[in-house]
Amino acid sequence: MKHIKTLNTKKLQHTVKGCGECQTSVGK
Amino acid sequence: MVHQYKNNGYNIVLDVNSGAVHVVDDIAYDVALLYEEVPADGIVDRLREKYTPEEIKEAIAEITQLKEAGELFTPDEYEDVVGDWKGRETVVKALCLHIAHDCNLSCRYCFAQEGEYHGKRELMSVETGKAALDFLIAQSGNRRNLEVDFFGGEPTLNFEVVKELVAYGREQEKLHPKKFRFTLTTNGVLLNQEIMDFANREMANVVLSIDGRKEVNDHMRPFPNGAGSYDVIVPKFQKFADSRNQENYYVRGTFTHHNLDFSKDVLHLADLGFRQISVEPVVAQETDSYAIREEDLPQLFDEYDKLAQEMIRRTREGRGFQFFHFMIDLEGGPCVVKRLSGCGSGTEYLAVTPWGDLYPCHQFVGDDGFLMGNVFDGVKNEKLKAEFQGCNVYAKKKCRDCFARFYCSGGCAANSYHFHGNIQDAYDIGCALQKKRVECAIMIKAALAQEQ
Repeated sequence: MKHIKTLNTKKLQHTVKGCGECQTSVGK
Repeated sequence: MVHQYKNNGYNIVLDVNSGAVHVVDDIAYDVALLYEEVPADGIVDRLREKYTPEEIKEAIAEITQLKEAGELFTPDEYEDVVGDWKGRETVVKALCLHIAHDCNLSCRYCFAQEGEYHGKRELMSVETGKAALDFLIAQSGNRRNLEVDFFGGEPTLNFEVVKELVAYGREQEKLHPKKFRFTLTTNGVLLNQEIMDFANREMANVVLSIDGRKEVNDHMRPFPNGAGSYDVIVPKFQKFADSRNQENYYVRGTFTHHNLDFSKDVLHLADLGFRQISVEPVVAQETDSYAIREEDLPQLFDEYDKLAQEMIRRTREGRGFQFFHFMIDLEGGPCVVKRLSGCGSGTEYLAVTPWGDLYPCHQFVGDDGFLMGNVFDGVKNEKLKAEFQGCNVYAKKKCRDCFARFYCSGGCAANSYHFHGNIQDAYDIGCALQKKRVECAIMIKAALAQEQ
């Protein structure tokens, strides 16, 4: 793209797979 | 929802609901401001004095392409996912063990009142500590990863009990499908080789309390006789951090109204050789002389900007460091469920007093209205637990439309309670600073990505 550079490919929508095993906190 | 801002020469467009971050030129920045409200022809008309129609149409096409890819102007699909959180099953996975309600410093801003938490000086017994670990194992359901933070007061005043509880935890790991992650917070006064060696074997993270420059630290963190603590703790902390290979620790300070130029304290800690640093705003009532006030915010914003720019410079020179509040993972980071529900205080995370009482977190200890039960009989105050279960981004009016909600998770329940009298609000000065930090953290990513 000429006018826009996107920094990341991760999309939060894809995480909607809450297991609770993450460390207590906030921002594989 | 899109959040646009300019910082340090970068035009940044954050697509809030996907987490996508775009660095754009002036044309795309101006087009994005109009894109959802004005039809394409109207955008061309409005911007034709600044840019050519061809450029404007190119930017419109690129934005449309990103929108269709789910990376810009993404709708909020999460409120339905949250559903009725109040009824969901939760388990306890982390405890803050108040191993000592006593302290050998007299820090002026301490919410724990010299470690006493508005109560009596007391050390946790081995029996109470073991009961706490048993409670955690029993209440953690199918969670494998459990966390125990040794906190105070000053935990090293009761270090033999710390060692016994870690040994007990390691024994329990052989009997249950659980893995303990132990952590320690200390003011450093009693640090010695034995404690460092033990912590390096057993503590996944250690937090070393120091405020920054000598005069700043010694003003707020004196001994009871008024003498400063800086000269006592700095050599020990430097040795400790090096012994951990400059990983898995934080030097952690507090800035107040008395040192609004706190970026100098952060850089002072970096110049002392520390690579993992957190310097955080004090949370205090406005009647306290050291409290952060609304009129302090412009200067604090400037300080965060200065710090971000210096961090970029030092990173480019190969001598970068981590700043806790600028840590953000744009590629990974936690799932939406975690981002919306926050720290889990009162449900997944509980604080334990030396005599075994349970509170939603360390900030509520000593407030009888937040007593939840004890480690011997379990959680008894189901009404309070349900109230904390209801805490999520969409339950808070101030948070549901905030661009930073997925990086903040609705803020601190204790701060909300102490400023607004309920846990479903948000501490406004904290919000303003958090939003600024998110903007700086993303800008740093943009600046460093430019070189890759």
